[in-house]
Amino acid sequence: MLVVMKPNATEAQVDAVVERIRSLGFFPHAIPGAQRTAIGVTGNKGGLDPALFESLPGVREAIRVSQPFKLVSREVKEEDTVLDVGGVEIGGKRLVVMAGPCSVESKEQVLEAARAVKAAGATMLRGGAYKPRTSPYEFQGMAEDGLKLLALAREETGLKVITEAMDVETLPMVADYADMVQIGARNMQNFSLLKQLGKLAKPILLKRGPSATIREWLMAAEYVVAHGNGRVALCERGIRTFETATRNTLDLNAVPVLKSLTHLPVIVDPSHGIGLRAHVPAMARAAVAAGADGLIIEVHPCPEKALSDGQQSLTPEEFSGLMAQVRVIAGAVGRPV
Amino acid sequence: MFVAMKPHATQAEFDAVIDKVRALGLTPHPISGIERRVVAVVGNTGAVDPDDFAMLPGVAEALRVSQPFKLVSREVKEEDTVIDVGGVKVGGRAIVVMAGPCSVESQDQILETARAVKKAGASFLRGGAWKPRTSPYEFQGLREEGLKLLALARQETGLKVITEVMSTDTLPMVAEYADVLQVGARNMQNYSLLERLGAVKKPVMLKRGLSGTIREWLMAAEYIVANGNPHVMLCERGIRTFETATRNTLDINAIPVVKSLSHLPVIVDPSHGIGIRKHVAAIARAGVAAGADGIMVEVHPKPEKALSDGHKSLSIPEFEELMRQVRVIALAIERPVM
Repeated sequence: MLVVMKPNATEAQVDAVVERIRSLGFFPHAIPGAQRTAIGVTGNKGGLDPALFESLPGVREAIRVSQPFKLVSREVKEEDTVLDVGGVEIGGKRLVVMAGPCSVESKEQVLEAARAVKAAGATMLRGGAYKPRTSPYEFQGMAEDGLKLLALAREETGLKVITEAMDVETLPMVADYADMVQIGARNMQNFSLLKQLGKLAKPILLKRGPSATIREWLMAAEYVVAHGNGRVALCERGIRTFETATRNTLDLNAVPVLKSLTHLPVIVDPSHGIGLRAHVPAMARAAVAAGADGLIIEVHPCPEKALSDGQQSLTPEEFSGLMAQVRVIAGAVGRPV
Repeated sequence: MFVAMKPHATQAEFDAVIDKVRALGLTPHPISGIERRVVAVVGNTGAVDPDDFAMLPGVAEALRVSQPFKLVSREVKEEDTVIDVGGVKVGGRAIVVMAGPCSVESQDQILETARAVKKAGASFLRGGAWKPRTSPYEFQGLREEGLKLLALARQETGLKVITEVMSTDTLPMVAEYADVLQVGARNMQNYSLLERLGAVKKPVMLKRGLSGTIREWLMAAEYIVANGNPHVMLCERGIRTFETATRNTLDINAIPVVKSLSHLPVIVDPSHGIGIRKHVAAIARAGVAAGADGIMVEVHPKPEKALSDGHKSLSIPEFEELMRQVRVIALAIERPVM
């Protein structure tokens, strides 16, 4: 349920609503908004009687939220959520571009990639230090050494760092180094991890599971928000279908559908979404045209020598070509890069 | 296998290649490109040595085609195929827009829609007279009466008509009225129909089957071309996935992939691809940005009263707004809208 206050409600009246929610054994969640003050109620089983809250002074109305996801839904918060990642805004008018190698491999590699993507116009550096690889025999990432290299690249270039956290155990360390913590597709429903993310003071990029419906994905985001961290962005990265010509099927339908269901920013990963280097720019253009708030793209100084995902990584030259194409589309839909 | 002629090869040299193909018990398919003439060799070419052709006079090269689809592949024909539909070119620089109701329902409905989509900038009128409905109890289409109404709308507006053909027995009649024959998703692998379409002198738009892989889809197109009709365009209309929030999952990946594998034009159908009226424009923009040669959109003067697919049909003002948005994207990638 969502309790909406009158525009002129006093702080004491808001506190009284919070108190009423707690006294009923439920959880209050302040929903920030420019237009109105509202308090989300979670923890109730079954519908609540609006009269429980509408009888309190300063309350305009109490609304049942029809979706199973509450705090992330547009019913509860109409305005777009804009995340501030150290000065880089995600979900605002400006399109955000995150780029870098699949894995951090060496100091030279990550610095070279960082300089190149910065020069081409990216504002965030991606790179995995902990890698969820399908095979246990493949390169698993440089762990903390990789995080240190990302921090070094940030220091030199000013790019914000986004990197993946794979488990509860290493989360505090990853969060120490990262500006934004990425949760990979395979961990989308790692509920223990999601709960911990709720206690983190860092923004989260939650990738869609390979076989997750939009509803399951939003429920996963709800876990993070319900546990206290409202700074979540979603990342569409392709789903599993019968098609084998591409690595995944990038579900761009999800972009307008999400933007209508939730106020959270939506990022698209065309690199994983199609998995074929030659076609990454076309899908990046399509994502921006569909209304995505940003892109995350794999770039490697020498894709053919990459320790992971070389077949979908762009060279720095290809990436600057992609940026030129994306700028044109972004300009057409009224979003500067 | 395909045999590419040198740019200045003579007709006699070309004929000699054709004769040699026939002598080997194989079928030659001559393809004339802007740059060069090619003979595609279809049949069991396993025992044929490409060098036997490469040494003939006037031959530039003879190569095996690595893909299972031959005539529709870019290996055989590098240049984009441009289909001229009575002056409207599909697959060229301009993006074509096909719009109209799911089903033809009445004279008033089809004429009102045709005038409106023409005014908004469409060059094709779509509308089903034979409808492949999931339920046998639902509206099955006006049949020949519907075709006559489409012809009337064409006469009044000058729009080209694209309409679906569902079976071989009605094909001759539909082909008489239509400018482009549409093969629906459920018929993508109706091989009897595909073979017959090879003998028709009208362009064909082949929709992707609900669970057709890109390879299966291109093989289906190959059926039509191998049977004699090279005027085929493909239409991505969404595939079946586990996602239930949308009617289908529009596979936009397929656009750049098909454009690289095949020389045939690719149209995208955002109406079926997402199935939710308010999101059709966003996904139409995405299709054009990804490189589609055209879009096909369902438009109805009164979507809430439509006999089929009202929930995903745009009203006329919504279609006008979609056209504005699509023009902006098309302009950005330097493709005019036709």
